Amino acid sequence: MLDHPWIDRFASLDSPIHRFDPRAKAITFLFLIFSIVLLSAVKLALVGLLTSIFFLALSRLPLRFALRHIKWVSLFIIPFFIVMPFTVEGSEIYGVHGLKVTYEGVEYGALIALRALSAVILVLPMIATTRFEEMMKALERLRVPSIMVQMLIFTYHYIFVFGEEWERMWRAIESRGFRLRTTLYALRTLGRAMGMLFVKSYERSERVYYAMRSRGYTGRQRTLAEFNLKRSDLVLSTLIISIGVILHIIQMEVM
Amino acid sequence: MVHISDGILSTPILSAGWAISIVVMAATIWWCEKRRDLSEEIPRLSVMTAAFFIASLVHIPVGPTSVHFILNGLMGVVLGVLAYPAIFIGVLLQAFLFQHGGVTTIGVNTLNMGIPALIAGAIFRIPVGRLRLCEVSTGIVAALAGGVGVLLAALFASLTLIVTGRQFFEIAGALVVAHTPIIIIEAIVTGSIISFLIKVKPELIGLGRSQCET
Repeated sequence: MLDHPWIDRFASLDSPIHRFDPRAKAITFLFLIFSIVLLSAVKLALVGLLTSIFFLALSRLPLRFALRHIKWVSLFIIPFFIVMPFTVEGSEIYGVHGLKVTYEGVEYGALIALRALSAVILVLPMIATTRFEEMMKALERLRVPSIMVQMLIFTYHYIFVFGEEWERMWRAIESRGFRLRTTLYALRTLGRAMGMLFVKSYERSERVYYAMRSRGYTGRQRTLAEFNLKRSDLVLSTLIISIGVILHIIQMEVM
Repeated sequence: MVHISDGILSTPILSAGWAISIVVMAATIWWCEKRRDLSEEIPRLSVMTAAFFIASLVHIPVGPTSVHFILNGLMGVVLGVLAYPAIFIGVLLQAFLFQHGGVTTIGVNTLNMGIPALIAGAIFRIPVGRLRLCEVSTGIVAALAGGVGVLLAALFASLTLIVTGRQFFEIAGALVVAHTPIIIIEAIVTGSIISFLIKVKPELIGLGRSQCET
């Protein structure tokens, strides 16, 4: 049922993006994502998409892995791509039974799709090329509040634990003949099973937390990774930031 | 579907989403930190966030299609005001790990699910805290809170689309209609989860222990 996300499965590969300092990586890629998503010209958004694909290729992440992650957002974007040509006002290029397809609508649909795809693609070189623990330590160094970093870490790990726990529980329920339908009985049973998941999770979390505390956990992240900004990090950061800035300068000149 | 993805919303809405979410998070964390040591709360919060994450992946068959849970109402009922930062973490992880929703829309999506969660929490806490209701009526109040949570989340999401542009009017309408079965299903499930928890582990919903709001 649960697809293991394992976003950092390919973090041990080697590429310029993998060697990029995690702190710089987080900031510069976030900047690039925002600047591409905020573009309003289709041609520039296309450049944005090509840039994203370039960085994905540079990161040497396997294509199948990338496509699996991109699949989801496409499901959300397709309805917009289909509906926009009909709902945006503008010059008609094709009409059937009072419904008209407008040029502006097609362009707007394409703009949405391009921006969404670029953002999703850029997330991969940003997140999938660093081990999760290192990224968390980078966030802490970037002064993200400790409560946020700790919650991210705990939640991330518990997602896997509870995913498996729930699968076990569900197998047990189904092996006793339960089938999930939309009846009051089935939904109430499902609710009690979920309640049990919460109880089990809660008790486990207390045990784990006290075990961690007694071993000296203070909330600070300790990993062996040390961060040093090298010259190559500065070059790559400058490159990424200037792509974002240049795209917006061109946009201002055009409009 | 309440997760709006990147590339759709306009810049003012995205910025407003981030600004409001950051302020509300800072306020809720500050509010709770004043009352007790939050470092003890982090495991409980994270566990509930993770469990909410897993439970929201469960698909329920409805006619030919299936729907999945949002459970923001339940979060509000269980976590009180801390539901807001918890939902932020959930939305953030979903955007980065599963590519559900978007990166730039994390702020807006948290707002769309978080504010309804706070309202659902209030719907549950205010009568139940004051009146010491029995199990059955607590379940009914929780069901109401769960249903309201989803209803408002769907309304908020479609509202953000409508404010972005007139061209999203039809999609926004479809979004609300598509959520009607989830509202009913989630109300029933939230009600049964809470009446179960009250019997088995009342401290998990903060009843019978010193609580954030009281």
